[in-house]
Parts: sequence; structure tokens; C-alpha cells
Amino acid sequence: MAKPGDALLFSVVRRDHRPWLLMLNAAVATTGGLLIPAALADAVDMALSGKFALFTLLWLLGMAATEIIGDAIGIVLAASITSRATAWLRNRLSRHLLALGHPSPFAAGDAVSRMTGDCSNAGGVVVTLISLAIAAVTSAGSVVALALLDWRLAAVFVVSVPLAMFLVRTHMQLTADDVLTYQVVSGDVSARLVDAVSGKRTIAAAGIADREAGRVLQPLPRLAAAGAGMWRTQAKMMWRAGLLLPAVEVVVLITAGFGVMAGRLSAGDVLAALGYAALGMSIVGQVPQLTALERTRASATRIAEVLDVPPAERARTTTTNGSGSIELRDVSVGCALHEVNLTIPAGTFAAIVGSSGAGKSTLAAVLGGLSAVDSGEVLRDGEVGYAFERPALLGTTVGRSIGYGTDADGAEVRDAAVAAQVHDVLIRLPQGYETPIADVPLSGGEAQRIGLARAIVRDPEVLVLDDATASLDTVTEAKVDKALTTALPGRTRVVVTHRAATAARADMVVWLENGRVRGSGTHRELWDDEDYRAVFTGGE
Amino acid sequence: MRFYLSTLAGHRRGVLMLLAWSALEGVPAFFGGRLVGTAVDQGFAAGEPLTGVLWLLAFAALAVAGALGQRQVFARLGAVVEPMRDALVTRIVKGVLNDPTHRRTPDASAVAMITRHVEVVRDATAGVLVQARALLVTTLAALIGLATTATALIWLVVLPIVAALALFALMLPSLAKRQRDAVMADEHTAEASGAVLTGLRDVVACRAADEAFEDISTQVGRQADATVTVAWANALRATVIAIGGFTPIVLLVAFAPPLVASGQLTTGAVLAAVVYLTNNVNPALHGLARTTSTIVMRLMVALKRLQEAAPRTREEVGDEVPSNGEFVLRDVTFGWSPDAEPVVRGLSLDLRPGDHLAVVGPSGIGKSTMASLLTGLMPPDFGSVLFGGAPVDLVVPVVRHHAIALIPQETYLFTGTVRENLALLAPSATDQDLIEAVDKVGAKPLLDRLGGLDATLGHAGEGLSAGEAQLLALARVYVTSASVVILDEATSHLDPAAEARVERAFSQREGILVVIAHRLSSALRANRVLVMDGGKPLLGTHEHLLKTSSLYGQLMLAWDPTHHEEAPLPKR
Repeated sequence: MAKPGDALLFSVVRRDHRPWLLMLNAAVATTGGLLIPAALADAVDMALSGKFALFTLLWLLGMAATEIIGDAIGIVLAASITSRATAWLRNRLSRHLLALGHPSPFAAGDAVSRMTGDCSNAGGVVVTLISLAIAAVTSAGSVVALALLDWRLAAVFVVSVPLAMFLVRTHMQLTADDVLTYQVVSGDVSARLVDAVSGKRTIAAAGIADREAGRVLQPLPRLAAAGAGMWRTQAKMMWRAGLLLPAVEVVVLITAGFGVMAGRLSAGDVLAALGYAALGMSIVGQVPQLTALERTRASATRIAEVLDVPPAERARTTTTNGSGSIELRDVSVGCALHEVNLTIPAGTFAAIVGSSGAGKSTLAAVLGGLSAVDSGEVLRDGEVGYAFERPALLGTTVGRSIGYGTDADGAEVRDAAVAAQVHDVLIRLPQGYETPIADVPLSGGEAQRIGLARAIVRDPEVLVLDDATASLDTVTEAKVDKALTTALPGRTRVVVTHRAATAARADMVVWLENGRVRGSGTHRELWDDEDYRAVFTGGE
Repeated sequence: MRFYLSTLAGHRRGVLMLLAWSALEGVPAFFGGRLVGTAVDQGFAAGEPLTGVLWLLAFAALAVAGALGQRQVFARLGAVVEPMRDALVTRIVKGVLNDPTHRRTPDASAVAMITRHVEVVRDATAGVLVQARALLVTTLAALIGLATTATALIWLVVLPIVAALALFALMLPSLAKRQRDAVMADEHTAEASGAVLTGLRDVVACRAADEAFEDISTQVGRQADATVTVAWANALRATVIAIGGFTPIVLLVAFAPPLVASGQLTTGAVLAAVVYLTNNVNPALHGLARTTSTIVMRLMVALKRLQEAAPRTREEVGDEVPSNGEFVLRDVTFGWSPDAEPVVRGLSLDLRPGDHLAVVGPSGIGKSTMASLLTGLMPPDFGSVLFGGAPVDLVVPVVRHHAIALIPQETYLFTGTVRENLALLAPSATDQDLIEAVDKVGAKPLLDRLGGLDATLGHAGEGLSAGEAQLLALARVYVTSASVVILDEATSHLDPAAEARVERAFSQREGILVVIAHRLSSALRANRVLVMDGGKPLLGTHEHLLKTSSLYGQLMLAWDPTHHEEAPLPKR
């Protein structure tokens, strides 16, 4: 049955000429491989005749060389095809995920697993298909070769393989209990380690590292028991599987022996029969490849799912370069905002307040075009910069994470960091601004201030702070507030906040409730409303 | 790597048992070629089918014996692999928890990575024991079998194989490096895409889709290149092994004719030799090229990554005995690196029993560094931190740990009973002591809600709020006999009233109390305040600082009392 990902897989196969090269190479190498047992049989017969024949030996060498060189080329070609296809899929997918914007219809963890796992599965489609084809051709070719030696050999082989497989078939699955126990206990040890690691300062200060290590390791005996159980089960499976090839070999050898007795076969032919029996079994090992093919298709479907989502329209937004006013007309977004009408004049300090779930962050996202609107219109007079409560800091170094997406130079980055009150922290890092972002142990407040610096460096007409100072102590928040006024004088500022003090400082307050504007005005005007006061006393 | 090998050596008995069963596994390889040769030579070719069939049935019987040997090998793998994994996990956990660099704390994803690598080591060790051992046993058995049948030609067979194996061994280091690069490239790709996709909102907000795509695409490209590089190495390796495996066959048939003609080699011997080579030696060599080396590479990469995750631990040293419970700091300066701006500069401070010091300043300025310096977790770069007259980091560890207790902002709770969690630092405390401590810090209602001391806690204090977890951590230290208590933002998740109660409880306890303050209200309760704001630290009483320091005045003004309804406490 066709799956949505099949078309994508087809385009992966047809990307370039390399799959054809691999196929051609495989055809040559497989032919060489199929001719080897026969060539070997001739060579052995030559040896047994006691007369040296150069051509026979050269033929054997030629076939072997064909197979060996073909295999080597095949390894490189296969890796090249798979890795290029994977890269192609990953680039397409990441481009599309970026185009889909925010909020993404795919959860971040899910998207990452599609990027890493699914793309590499789907990228292997060509190699999986060709290996299946090679195995099929090899097996068929071996049966033909056996038939050419003696039709009885082929008949015995064709009958014995399914029979042998039936006899040694593995009834047993890995006992689910042991596997499950192993996973559960292993997870328990990890969780204990995470606990201990997050309490590392307590442990270090109290000097109880060894004792706590013992606590983390407490479940180990159960893990070892489950592990040993898994090995025992596997032992039972393995020894039956190990009998398959000898069983078929013995049957083919006996048949070949009678062929020798009847004069149909030479002594060398016995070896050829043995060789073809082993080659013919290659199809038996292909069950995992079939599973791989199914997995490939499933992965391709998961990638196609993303690629099939059209990027959201951003047409009903008008951005002009200018003073920094924003107007919302009948804006609705899903079930988060309903028909919001709002005008924020240029240069205003506006606070957005409301209890959690009121739609504050969605409103903030709509103001700067971070997310698209379902209906209504957003008129924006100038660029909008954002700072968040929990900013994701991107880019290679700390300095770069401030200049991310711009071509700001070192001095501009530094100025922005000074304004955001984070410069003092950054120069104390091991490599200052050049410290790789992954190596920086940042507290929530520090990350927030770097996020602020990132917004400041863009010098936007409108600055939207989505609870961007929530983790700062009150002293630092006040400093940041003052610095923002100095660094970006006269800019429109929209602040999502839970703090009454912040709302009190604002020129206007927009009070949201269940996705609608419940009221707007100054903090002092709204404070008379008991419901408004409840927004602050109930929160924090 | 050395640790890994010595661990394996520690399970010598298990490994020897495995090898003993391997001997049984090698039996078909040893007799196989000869039996097939004899079956043709003396059976079918001699016109005696029954003899031929019987020899072949013997071949089948030996195959069953070999499979049985393999079964025993697998069943006994657990006895070697599982203890090895236990030893590895033990060492890593100890390494992580003893890691002297306190800044670098692995998070949940790093722990998940460690777990994955440990599983790789476990599987790869099993793989090596199964495959490399099988290779060794099979090749040896087949070569010995060959030597007994075609003695005259044995060197033609052995030399190419040995040469190929030697070449293969020479190639291993470069292979390992390439494999490692590929693994790293893989991790970088996952990291780059993970960072961008979890931060999609910020990418859009920064209009940085192009830079984000470039970052991902660069890593994706590198990963593809690394994969192809590994493939070239693999191809070379496969070629060397294939040539090494096939050359003996060609040499054998090329040199056999004169020996057969002169009667030195029988038909059976030639057949046996070829069967040994094609059925036993070659598959084993190919196994080596295809899987064993991959497994060894994965094993080496995983071991190396584990080593990085858990460096060798440093034993705590120190034999100084403090003469009293006083702290004396003189001209203390500390920075994260010689180039970085110091976090603490020229600090001098005396603390005596009964002192209550509050450390205030903007977040991120390095207030926690004070806590680490006082607990001896880090020595200062310049100056001295003396506890009872001795440098605190050189005090006998047991004495130091008992005398000085630190409660950091991030709480350590583990899965176990509430009692176990509370008695962590005072194992001999009675239930009475514990309940009293819980009551003092205001956590009695919490204890009752949890269901008393016997209630169990889940991982990471599951079901507790951050503030509740902090209360338990506070009670845990309250019950100890520590004479110096350092609260490093340990009340950050408590409401102001609860925070005040905790600080009061600790200040009524004997000894020194240092509060690294989250809120400025903590300064009002202390009898001395240390202000850290990047420059030289300021020290004095609240009143004194208000009068003399404009910075302190500004800090107090900026502090917004609308959030801290609690009235300042009267001075003690």
C-alpha cells in the first residue's frame, strides 16, 4: 500500500545518478561473486589433476578481484548516497520547519527526532533497496548455479531451506519481562543520578559524594539480574539459528556426494555446491532489511507530514518604517485571542497584565509578528524587538548569541550587554564574550539579561518584553528598567508582567481576560476594580 | 581504557569459562574440512556412499556440538558483561559526584548520554566477546586442522592471513579517529538542530532563520562528510581483509598440482584445505572486517566519551585542625580564570560565633562564590580564608564537613523516605530531633501533608513545590551540629513570611549564619551586611551602610516594598 512518504523516497532515489552507479557496481560485483564457487571448483579440479593451468587460476583471481574491488567501491558509494540523501532531507526539513515559524505545529523534541532519526532512516532507502535486490539476485543465481551443476542439488536446496527454517524457527521472543525490568531499573539509576547531580553542591559541601554514589547505585543488582536473564534467552535463540546453515549444508553435501559417485560431479564440484548453498542462504538473512525498508517508509512519512504543512500566511500584517506605533483591529488567534482591538501610540510604555492563560504571551507574539493571526489586521509602524522570560540563547558564543541574526560587531554587542546589566557577568566568564554558549552556566536571570541585550542590539522601534525580567531580583530589575530607558530612549515598550509595580510605572495598562481585553487605562484607574487587583494578589 | 581492561581482568574466571566453552564451539571448525574431505575421498569418490553419508552425519553432529558451545557462551556472557557494566557505572557515578569542577554540572540530557554510552559499552563488550573470540577460536581451529591435513602448504596459508591481520591492526588507530569524528559530528548535528528547534520562537523573533539554517546546514554537511570519510577507511579495511582471506586459496590451488602429482597431497586433503579456508577462515575474517572492528570502534569511542564525562576523581586532602569556630578572611581575591574579571576582590572579613551576615548584590555578580570560598570548595586565588586559624580548604575534611553546612539554592532530594532525606547530614538524629527541626523552619504542616517521616519521596522531590523542597533541605541542616551555616539563596522559593521565619530560626541557633540574600529584606535581619556589586566589597551594619554608601542607599530604594508586605523586623 502506498504511503504518503513514498513520493518523497522516490524523489530521494531520483536525486542524482549515484544510485545507478551503485546498481551497476553491484551487478558487476555480484556476478563476480556468483562465478567464484564455479571458478574455485575448476581450480580445485585442476589442482587434483596435478597439472597447472594458468588460465584457470587467472580466471579465479579475476573473479575474486572483481568481487573485492566491487565491494570496496560499494561501501564508499553506499555511504556517500546515504549520507548525501540524509543531508538533503535534513536541509529540506530544517528549511521548512524554519519557514513554518512560531508556534510550530510540531513539538520541538518531536521535530528534532524527525531531523536526526527519521532523516537518517529515510536517507538509507537506496542502499536498503539495492541490498535487497542483491540478496535476491544472489540467491536466485545460486539456485541456478546449483541447477547447472546438477538439478538434484537445486531441488534439494529449494526444499531443504524452508524445512530447515521451519525446524529451527525461533519460538522464543526475548522474554519481555527481563527487557522491561532492565529498562525500568536503568531509568531508575539515571533518575537517581540526575537527582544527585542537581544536588551536587549540597553533596560536595557535605563531603558525602561516596555515600550518595552508593545511593544512586543501589538498584544495580536488579539490573545485573535482568541483564543476565536477557543473555540466557538470547543463548537459546542463537543456538537454533546457528544450526540452520550446517543443516542445509549437510543435505546439499550428501546429494553432491551421490553426484560424485554417479560421475555427474567432480570433487571440485562438491566445493562449488557447498559454496552456492552458503550464497543461496543470503536471502534468509534479509528479514531485517525488510524491516528496515518498512522503517524507512514510516520515517519518510513522518518527514512528508512536516513538508506537507504549508507555511502560515502573514499577509494581513503591514509593517512600515517609522515611529513605533502598533494597532490591532479585530485580531483573533485560535482560542487564545478574540477580536482584540488595541492601539499603542508611539513612545508609550504599555503593560499587558492578566492571570495566567489570559492570552498575554499570544498578544505579545502577535504585536511583533512572531505568530500569525487567524483574522483581523495588525498595523505596525516600525521593527519590533523581543525579550522573553526564558530566552533560548542561540549562536556559537555568548557574544554571538547577543548579535544573533544581525551583523552587529563586538562593540555593539558589548554596549547592548552593558545596557542590559549583563556585561559584568560576561567578562567574568572563562573566555569572556568568546565563551561557547553551551559551556556557560547561566542562571535564569543572567539568561534573561542576555536576551534583553539581544533585543537592544537590534535597536528596534518597538520593544516587547514578555515577562523578560521575571527571574531578576527587584534591584536588578530596576537597574535594567533604567538602562532600557537610557539605551533606547523614546521607544515604544510593551511589557508582559505579573508585577504590580511594573504596571504602576507604565503609561497604559492592557488588562486581558480569557483572550479579550477586559479593560485598559492607567494602573491607578484600573486598581479600583476588585477583579483587577486579584490579578496581582492571586499571582506571584 | 586501562580501567576497562582491568575490570575485565577482574572477571578472569568468567572470561576463562567463556573460552572453555569456545573450545567446544571451535570443534566443527577443527574437524569440518577434514570430515568433508574424507567423506568425498573415502566415501562417495571411492564408491562407498554409506561411509560418505556417515562422515557427513559426523560433520552435522559436530555442528550441533559447536552450536551448543555457542549457546553456553551466550548464557555465560552475563557473568562477565553485567559485572563489568556495574563496575563502569559505579566508577562514573563516583566520578561525576566527586568532580572537583563544581561549575560544570551535567544536566538530564548529559546523564541520558552517559546511560547510552554505558549501554554501548555493555553491548560492544558482549559483541567483542562473541565475535572476536569466535574469530580467534575458529581461525585457530581451522588453521590447526589445515596444518594437520595439508602440512606442506601451511605457510602459504598462514603468512597472507597474518600479514592482513597485522595491516588491519596498523589501520585501527586512524579508523578509531575517523569513527570518533563521525560520532562527534552526529552529536553536533543533533545539538545544532535541537538548539534551533527548541528556540524557534527566538529564531523568529530575531528574524534569524537564515543564520539558524546556516548553523544547522553546516553541521549536517560536516556529518555527511565524516560518514563518507569513515566509509573510505572501511572500504580499505574490507579490501585488506578480503585479499588476506582469498590469497591463501589461490596460493593453495597454484602450488598443489606438483604435490598432488607426486602423491604428497590426497584429494581429501585438498578438499579439506579449501573447505577450511572458504567455510571457516574466510567468514571469520569477514566478520572481523564488517562487525568486530565497528564494535571495537564504538566501544573505544564510548569509553573515551565516558572518561570525559567522569574525569578521575581527586581525593580530598587536608590535615589542619581548626582551633576555634571563627572565620578570618584577608584580602581574598577570586576569579574564574586569570583573564576574567575577579568575582571577589580584596575582601577582608571576620566572623565570630553569633554573627549573622547577609551578602547582597545584583544577581549573577558572584555571591555564590562567597559560599564556595567559605566551605572550602574552592581556594581563593589570592589572600586567605582561615577557619579557626587554618586555611579552610586544608582543614581535615571530616571536621570541615561537620562544622560548616551549606544550603544551596538548588535542593538535593532523593527517592527514599522523608526520614532518610532529613537525616542525610545527621544520620544519628532521632525522630524527635528531626520533627523539632522541621517545626523550627516552619515545615510541620508540610510534613503532616506528606504523611510523616515514613512517607516516601519520588525522584527530584516529585510532587513537592520548589519552596517545599527548600524547607526540607533547611530542616536537614538545622538538625546537624554544624557551627557555621551558609544559606545560599536557600529560601528563594519561599514567600517572605516563611523566609523570615527560617532566617530567625537559624539566627537563634548557636554559631555563625551567613545568608546570601535573594531579597533585600534579609539584610534588615542581619547584624552585618556585605554588598557585592562588582567593585571592592562594602561591609558594615545596615544603618552604617545606609549612611555611608550611596550604592547601598540606591539598592534599598530600588527594592520595591510592594512585593514584600512583611514589615522589617526590629533589630536584634
